[in-house]
Amino acid sequence: MMIEYEEYLAATSVAEATQALANGNVTVVAGGTDLMVQTAASGRGVGTTLLNVRRIADLRGVTVDGGRVTIGALTTITDMLTDGVVADTAPVLAETADRFASNQIRNMATVGGNICNASPAGDMIIPLMVLDADVELSSWVDGAVATRTVALNEFFTGPGKSVKTANELLTSVSFNRPAEGFVGQFGKTGPRPALEISMVSVGVGGVASNGSLTNARVVYGAVAPTPIRASKTEAALEGTSLDDASIQSVLDVADSEVNPISDVRASDWYRRHLVRVMTQEVLESVANV
Amino acid sequence: MSEAIEKTTLIGKSITKPDAPDKSNGRTRYINDMVLPRMLVAKIKRSDRAHAKVLSIDTSKAAAVPGIQAIVTADDTPMVGVGVTKDNPPLKKDIVLSMRDELVAVAGETEEAVDKALALIEIEYEDLPAIFDPAEALEEGAHQMHDDKPGNLSLGYQTVHGDIKQAEKNSDHVLDEVYDVHYVTHVCMGPGCVIADFDTHGKLTMYTQTQYPYNYKMDLAPSLGMHPGDIRVIQPPVGGAFGSKLDVYPFEPIAVFLAKKTRRPVKLFFSREEEFSASPTRQPARFHIRAGVKNDGTLTFRDVDALLNNGSHTSWGATTPFVMMRTFTGHFRVPDVEFRSRAAYTNMPYAGSFRGYGNVQATYVTATVMDKLAEAVNMDPISFRLMNAQKAGEVTPQNSKLEECFLGECIETVAEKTNFLEQYNAFKAEQDSPGRYKKGIGIATSFHNAGGAKIHKSDGCGTVIMLDDYARATVITGASEIGQGIDAVLTQIVAEELGIPTESITLVNNDSAIGPWDVGVHASRTTFIAGNSAKRAARKARDQILDAAAQRSNVAAEELDLRGGSVVQNDNGVPVMKIDSLLRKMHFAGEDAELVITHDYYEPPSEPEGDNHVGDISAAYSHGAYVAEVTVDTWTGVVKLNKMTAVQDVGRVVNKLGIEGQMEGGIAFGIGYGLTEEMIIEDGEVKNPNFRDYKVMTAPEAPELEFHFIENDDPDGPFGAKGIAELPTIIPAPAIANAVYNAIGIRFNNPPLTPEKVARAIVEKQAAKVAAE
Ligand SMILES: Cc1cc2nc3c(=O)[nH]c(=O)nc-3n(C[C@H](O)[C@H](O)[C@H](O)COP(=O)(O)OP(=O)(O)OC[C@H]3O[C@@H](n4cnc5c(N)ncnc54)[C@H](O)[C@@H]3O)c2cc1C
Repeated sequence: MMIEYEEYLAATSVAEATQALANGNVTVVAGGTDLMVQTAASGRGVGTTLLNVRRIADLRGVTVDGGRVTIGALTTITDMLTDGVVADTAPVLAETADRFASNQIRNMATVGGNICNASPAGDMIIPLMVLDADVELSSWVDGAVATRTVALNEFFTGPGKSVKTANELLTSVSFNRPAEGFVGQFGKTGPRPALEISMVSVGVGGVASNGSLTNARVVYGAVAPTPIRASKTEAALEGTSLDDASIQSVLDVADSEVNPISDVRASDWYRRHLVRVMTQEVLESVANV
Repeated sequence: MSEAIEKTTLIGKSITKPDAPDKSNGRTRYINDMVLPRMLVAKIKRSDRAHAKVLSIDTSKAAAVPGIQAIVTADDTPMVGVGVTKDNPPLKKDIVLSMRDELVAVAGETEEAVDKALALIEIEYEDLPAIFDPAEALEEGAHQMHDDKPGNLSLGYQTVHGDIKQAEKNSDHVLDEVYDVHYVTHVCMGPGCVIADFDTHGKLTMYTQTQYPYNYKMDLAPSLGMHPGDIRVIQPPVGGAFGSKLDVYPFEPIAVFLAKKTRRPVKLFFSREEEFSASPTRQPARFHIRAGVKNDGTLTFRDVDALLNNGSHTSWGATTPFVMMRTFTGHFRVPDVEFRSRAAYTNMPYAGSFRGYGNVQATYVTATVMDKLAEAVNMDPISFRLMNAQKAGEVTPQNSKLEECFLGECIETVAEKTNFLEQYNAFKAEQDSPGRYKKGIGIATSFHNAGGAKIHKSDGCGTVIMLDDYARATVITGASEIGQGIDAVLTQIVAEELGIPTESITLVNNDSAIGPWDVGVHASRTTFIAGNSAKRAARKARDQILDAAAQRSNVAAEELDLRGGSVVQNDNGVPVMKIDSLLRKMHFAGEDAELVITHDYYEPPSEPEGDNHVGDISAAYSHGAYVAEVTVDTWTGVVKLNKMTAVQDVGRVVNKLGIEGQMEGGIAFGIGYGLTEEMIIEDGEVKNPNFRDYKVMTAPEAPELEFHFIENDDPDGPFGAKGIAELPTIIPAPAIANAVYNAIGIRFNNPPLTPEKVARAIVEKQAAKVAAE
């Protein structure tokens, strides 16, 4: 099906973009790798104006300021793979980028788009949640750009849904530079090694020492209506020495915390099974750090 | 003109497909790219019910959309069916039998207008009970799908040889199993597309993706109320066919109805979703097989019952038992065999022909059954197959004459190249030891017609060759090019015969008003049949040129040869004259003028089946033995195919690059069938009509491939060549399944071996083990 927009705008600044959004009925396009597919298939997310934000140069790139790492919303997945700050501060993001789609998609797809699309299977969201990231939302209020900050953990409200309002632009995502000794791991699976939407994804992070994790973070994708922080699993993991028996009991907690559905990609049974085996895989590799 | 020209050959060399540079540069103008002046675009409104009465269709709002030029429903058509048994009226009236059923079609100036109009068509339905399972469709009292098909029975086949009851008594072990093989689809890169264009005389030109242009006219005409002679078929480049374009499907006559109504050219095309949900599938089936063996390893009997889901209407899928049964009865020496099949109408999608044609399904069963029988008698998979393999001169129960037979050689070669038994025994010993990743190796074999298949009045192909004054040859062949590479093969064959460079040859094969008849691209027949026809036509041209050269020199024709663009002396290669100047002399000779234009029609020496499906239907048969090496992740259930080694009897390699391409592409289909590809159909609706959820293998999963071609000239093949292109699709899946068994000791009678299916089976096996302890 073809979709007709009445108007096309290409903003070059956040001010310009948020003003346009304030007028209502606007669809934001960044890389378009979700939007194009969705509009072609279902007409989802179509306003009368198509607002291209790719020309807002300020919103692309990764910076580190004191202890805070900030990723512009338009930073591409390819950027994540090659960026020096990412490699230095949070290599788990680069590892995730390496499992993301194909080169062509990575060149177009943005971090902001991945978050705003609010898919429970969005890959980049998982390690960002492990890193306790916040997102910055900008809007045009009383003749100026206003911003608010929301914890990524509280951003999602359902599949394709978030607390971001229609007049807000996601401008960046940021997190504290992880502590010394922090390890982060990402795992995803599907029948193909590449170009695959995650059936289940898992992110684990924490400071590793003597085969255990402190300040543990466990995040799952595609097992609930939104990506989820598994706080009971985190509690079970906290400071526990990761031997075979304790890993098994952590897995039991994880199993109780996820609530996957059955769909064409996998049954709920298989998603639960994957939660176990992928968490086990990640924990075993953390235990060996 | 004195430098001697050595005798060389092009046969077995690598020739680039003539269309490859344009395709890889994005310059090819596919049918989907074509635009004719004044052309309208058209789309179809399909049923959204699996089985329902159509109470009303209201197109008034759609007709009011600006730019809409015509809307057609069944009322505008002669209601004459298309398809193999003509049970499929292009537009349905009163009742819909499946989700893909065509109800209304709209033609307009733009795609946007047509989309808008389609959305405004209002259809009222009254749902009827739907049947999705073929066994249910055959039950007493099941809802009748077609008035003239009592009991919902579509096509059935049966062949009986010997006495299976007695043979069973003589067996030491009898295997009794049920297999369920699934729906997959062709996934052509170029979605369905057709352009219909009338001239003022009422003659019709069809620009189509068809792979059988001549009988296509015959099959299409009745649904239009036309004479086949008034239809001209033009075949622009297509993005794949693989069997899916071997029948007339409703969208084609529908485009014609719209073109007739509007008096404008009409292009009707599929979205990707329609390509998945409304084009033919591979035939799914449920097989009940009973097979016996003696303790010494001798096969005794096979008894096979096949139940096919016919779907709502009938295309070639329902006829695939024709090929299945050759494998069940004729692959390996089995004295007593029976095969019965029934296809039952349901409210599901229907199947068409698809590379491998029934043999993909049959080989999944036979090749895994062979493994199971070997185990039952404590033999290894190689010796067991070797002792039951036919030898040259044997004849199968259905009378496939295996005059040449290299099955044993294929098995021995692949076993040796892969170090099969050593690996097999090592992996088997590791099955129950701890460890997440398990390796396995498995073999599968099959056989297929390799010299055409006589299922129509003729299995022939015609060729015309014309040489011009510059010794450039135009080869007009009936054989269609759908990506399989006949363009390169015929170029090579004609260049070989005429001693001219391949660049001097132009192939014409896209217009039914120009090319001589051919039965179509199917049954691995084109290199064999069209190759023979081209070779014979070229041979006639060669003889004519040599005769003319003999007249104009004092050397006898028998002592001359054509090499490097010259007529040369056969024994020493010394040039006598240039071919082009000879052709000019022949042409510009006043009243004696002579053009070199030759033609040939080749009919292979095969016979149609008679009673009980007995007949030597192909001029040649070929065997293949493939070995798969896998790693199973016992946690996630992911099966990684590390390597596929394919050994195949090919007669003679003509185009090395072409045969390798056909092997690679065919194997990719086979791997998809075995591991990832599956149409998920719930209540008659295709739930994964997109590349995200229908899992086609991607490049990173492509395994290492190793090919060994067994070359022994086939006495009837062109330069000894046989048809090769279906076995690569047929054999991989059961080789993978056998390798998975070697790795983890679990059998799967229901491909594909998806991660979830494998993981579940592993968990269940472990649970059963724990319960037993
Ligand atoms: C072939 C293919 C493979 C894929 N593989 C993966 C994969 O492996 N893993 C994965 O996670 N995803 C995958 N995706 C999905 C997609 O590429 C990602 O979600 C990507 O990050 C989306 O980014 P984008 O810039 O293209 O978003 P767009 O398509 O431009 O936008 C997505 C949505 O977010 C909104 N939006 C975008 N940016 C902003 C912003 N700054 N502020 C407010 N709203 C905004 C848009 O309006 C739209 O609703 C794949 C997609 C395709 C087509």
